[in-house]
Amino acid sequence: MSDMDFETQIRSLAVRMEYPRTPDISGFVTKRLRTSTRSRFISRRLAWSMTIIFVLLSSLLLIPSARAAIIDFIQVGVVRIFPRTVEPTAQAIRTAMPELMNPLTATPVPTQQSLLPILSRIAGKTTLDEAQKRVSYPILLPAYPVDLGKPDYVFVQNADGQMVVLVWLDPRQSDHIRMSLHFVPSGSWAVKKIEPKVIEETTVNNQRAIWTEGPYILRLINGNTDFTRLIDGHVLIWAEGDITYRLETDLALDEAVKIAESLRPIP
Amino acid sequence: MSLLVKASKHIHGTCKRLMVYKYKNDLSGEARLDEPTLIRYAVGGDAAAWESLVRAHQEAVFRLAYLLVGDPDDAEDVAQETFLRAWRYLKRFDATRALRPWLLSIAANLSSNRRRSAGRYFAALTRGFRAEPKPDTLEEKSSQQLESGELWKAVQMLNIQDQQIVYLRYFLDLPIAETAEVLQVAEGTVKSRLSRALEKLRTVIRNKFPILMDGHEA
Repeated sequence: MSDMDFETQIRSLAVRMEYPRTPDISGFVTKRLRTSTRSRFISRRLAWSMTIIFVLLSSLLLIPSARAAIIDFIQVGVVRIFPRTVEPTAQAIRTAMPELMNPLTATPVPTQQSLLPILSRIAGKTTLDEAQKRVSYPILLPAYPVDLGKPDYVFVQNADGQMVVLVWLDPRQSDHIRMSLHFVPSGSWAVKKIEPKVIEETTVNNQRAIWTEGPYILRLINGNTDFTRLIDGHVLIWAEGDITYRLETDLALDEAVKIAESLRPIP
Repeated sequence: MSLLVKASKHIHGTCKRLMVYKYKNDLSGEARLDEPTLIRYAVGGDAAAWESLVRAHQEAVFRLAYLLVGDPDDAEDVAQETFLRAWRYLKRFDATRALRPWLLSIAANLSSNRRRSAGRYFAALTRGFRAEPKPDTLEEKSSQQLESGELWKAVQMLNIQDQQIVYLRYFLDLPIAETAEVLQVAEGTVKSRLSRALEKLRTVIRNKFPILMDGHEA
C-alpha cells in the first residue's frame, strides 16, 4: 500500500470514530463563572457585614447548642464531610434521599470500563520499598484479612506532600479492585465529601473515624486541581498524627474497621 | 457622571446579561454575532457571550480530550477546565485569530497533565469498585466502527506528540494550518511530523492490528 493510500485509509477510518455524546459543558462553565463572579461581588460589597457576622458567630460558638446548628461539616484529618441535613451531633448521622442530589459535574454514574489500562497509565507507580524511601512517614499494611498479602499497585503522588496509595485487586476478578488505602499527609489535599447517603461515626484504635457510603460528591482540591466527581463506594476515614487514612472497600463497616486496626509497618 | 448616565449603563448591562447570544453558526435565523464580537463581549466580562462560544466549540474540545485521555468522564473534566482556563486568560488572546485552535491547544495540554494526575487516579479507583463486566456489544457495531476503534487503540500505542498530531489531523479532520496553530509549530513541521507518525503507525498496525491492513496490503 502506498503512503497516500495508507493515509487515505487512516483518514476514512478516523472520521468514523464513535464518540460519547458531548455533555453540556457550556451549562457547567456558565454556572461556575456566575458563581465566582457573584462571590467576588459579595466579598467586596459585604466585607464589613461579614466581619460583623463572623464576630457574632464566634460568640455563638461558645454555646454548645448553637455550635451544633452552625458547624455543618464533620472533619477528619484533611477530609471534610458535609451531611445533607445539619445535625452535627457526635452520634451517627444517617441521611437519605440520594436521588435528590445534584452532582456538580455531569458525570453522575461511574462508567463501566476495564480498570487495568487506566491504572497502568497513572503517574507515580512504584514499588512498596521505593515508596517507603520517598515518604517520611511509615507506610502501613493491613495484617487482616490474612490472605490479603502485599498490594498489587503502589503509587506515590506528589501533591505538595507525598500521598501514597495502595491498591489490592480482587483475586476472583483481576480487573476489579478489592480495596485501596490512601495515606494523605496534612497540607496536601483538601478533600470534601458532600452529602453522602450514609455517614456513621465509629472508632479506629479508639480514635474517631467516619464511615461513609455513597453516592456522594467528592471534591479534591489543591493548588493545581479542583476535581469533582460522584462517588459510589464505602469509605472509612481516620487520622493519626499528620496522616489521614482513607480505606475504600466493598466490605461492611465492621470489616473495614478490622482492616484499619490491623495496619502494621512493612515487615 | 449623572444619575441618568449611570442608570442607562446599568440597564444596558442588565440587558446584556439577559441576552442569549446566537453564534454565527446557529441556523435559528435569529440575530447572530460573529466570533470576534462574542470574544470582545466575553473579554468585557460577559458570561452569556462566553457561553455561546463554549457551545460552539465544546464538541471539538471534548472529542480531543476524549481521544487523549480515553475516558468520557475525564474528558468532560478536561473540557470544563479548558473553557474555565480560557476565560481566565481571554484578555491575552488575540481576538483577530480563530478561537478553536487556542482552545484545542489548552485541551491538549490539560489532557497530557490529566493522564498523570491524582484526580485521574481517584476516578480510576472509583470506577474499579463498582465496574460490572462490559456487555458484549460487538454485534451492534458495524465493521467500520470496529475498525475505527481498533485504529484508536493503535494510535494510543504511539508517543503523546504523535498521538496529538494524528488526532488533530485525521480524527478531528483539521486542516494542516489549524493543526499547526494548535501545536504552535510551522505548517512544514506538521507535515514532517505527520509523515513520521504515520510511518510509526503503519508499523504498529502491521505488527499488532493486521486486521486494519487486510485486503489492502497486497
